[in-house]
Amino acid sequence: MDSNEGIAQKQQEATVPENLETSSLSGNGGPVVIRSDLDFIESLRSRCGDFFMKCMQCGTCSATCMIAPDLAPFPGKEMAWASWGLRDRLLKDPDVWLCYQCNDCSTRCPRGARPGDLLAAVRQESIVQHAFPRFLSRWVNQPQAVPLLLSIPIILLSLALILREPVEKALGITRPVGDEILYSYSSIFPHWLLNNFFLFFTGLVIIAVIVGVVSFWGSMKAFVPAGRDITPVKGLMPSILSALKNVITHENFSKCTAERTRQFSHICIFFGFIALSCVTLWVMTLGINPLISGNFIYPFGFWSPWKILANLGGLALLVGIGLIIRDRMRHDEQAGAGNYYDWAFLATIFAVVATGFFTEILHYVRLEPHRHIAYFVHLVFVFALIVYLPYSKFAHIIYRTVAMVYAEYTGRNNGTSSNEGGK
Amino acid sequence: MSLNIGKNKTIIFAAIPILIILILVLYGVISQVVALGSEPPKVVLERPDPKYDKCVRDTEYMRFHHWQLLREIREDVVRYGRRGEIGLNRCKECHTSREKFCDQCHKAVSMTPDCYGCHNYQ
Repeated sequence: MDSNEGIAQKQQEATVPENLETSSLSGNGGPVVIRSDLDFIESLRSRCGDFFMKCMQCGTCSATCMIAPDLAPFPGKEMAWASWGLRDRLLKDPDVWLCYQCNDCSTRCPRGARPGDLLAAVRQESIVQHAFPRFLSRWVNQPQAVPLLLSIPIILLSLALILREPVEKALGITRPVGDEILYSYSSIFPHWLLNNFFLFFTGLVIIAVIVGVVSFWGSMKAFVPAGRDITPVKGLMPSILSALKNVITHENFSKCTAERTRQFSHICIFFGFIALSCVTLWVMTLGINPLISGNFIYPFGFWSPWKILANLGGLALLVGIGLIIRDRMRHDEQAGAGNYYDWAFLATIFAVVATGFFTEILHYVRLEPHRHIAYFVHLVFVFALIVYLPYSKFAHIIYRTVAMVYAEYTGRNNGTSSNEGGK
Repeated sequence: MSLNIGKNKTIIFAAIPILIILILVLYGVISQVVALGSEPPKVVLERPDPKYDKCVRDTEYMRFHHWQLLREIREDVVRYGRRGEIGLNRCKECHTSREKFCDQCHKAVSMTPDCYGCHNYQ
């Protein structure tokens, strides 16, 4: 926040061995103890390179950021904290999650220190930190673990398919094989099986998400930056509503200048997922929904409104993910460098969409065993997307939203409680 | 001024997809409410010809794979000049009504086979 203080501390830091506890005089005269976490610095370097070490604390990034409030700027202070290895501060800092990586800062940094990439790396560390159980987040961060992570859904899904018939017999479930002409998937993947299989694992994910959110909220609350008041300025519900409004309208994305296409591609992906969730939720209620009558044949006919919605959602997703992959490959300065963690997330979404459409095409050309195999592969990637959500980059939908709610809650954005921030 | 345009554009960006999703969801729910209580389409066999006691293949096969059989026959005739006993025209001997026997199921699963472009099946 305070660049003078930052530079002074950095100079002190430079004169002593880096792994020692150093103390210097803070602005108000009390001693400040800085514990550098070298492992953390190393881990950040492995994620985004050591560009952030070039930072000279000029403050261009904080000044240029269109999202940061004028009286509580970032990412200048985060750049200093990262170089110092202040792990605790960075992981408790809600500001890293308010960044959308427009990369206005990275493109204008006179030293090429890439603050945008650094904040992305800190967010990845933050996901690992708050994830529960921790070992899953370690796996999601390692390329070597891909076969393991994919074999989990393959084994579980195969097990469910093998156990299908005994369970059906035991529970007395009969599938409709009567007079109706069906060309559905239910002969191999019956509705009850998919429903319960995915509901069970989604339930586990929700538990993991709740644990993560509680831990994240607690750590944000525990961290009170100097000169800032974190007493709530409005209720939790209004904060949630205004954060959601920002998420839905993509208001912050529209402030970006360096990476403009990201707003469009994120809108495509966001609403694509919403459209697909609407269809999924509707299909899931089959059996308990009085509005669905007996003539429900799945998959829907091509001109059924549900199918149109699903196809449009899938197309939007395909366009959005295609644009994002193109941008990342074409100009990494604006779009962000992208490490394994980013690419794994993009690849999973792409795999889900591609296998989904592939299954649909195989269904229309009536290739009998093929469409079931493609559907199996599709379900494996859907599982990976949903179940690894709290550990992958997909977790941004949770942590960023929570950080935005917290920012609204504590009056972070209107600068009312940070009147001392610009002293 | 430019800020204002940016703000409006943002809202339009979000409003268009929300509108599309809402319309389709409402249409989907309403169309299923309207269809409530209607029976699933059934195969109607109006006039079994006494000449035959069963179809050319068993019912289960015909239910799922009649289109494959028809395609094979077509291949035989068109490509290899082998004209056999079975043919689309002869289905009519028992399954007289195209509307009841073919169309209502095809319609329900939004299938539009192009058989009838050439073959007269009434």
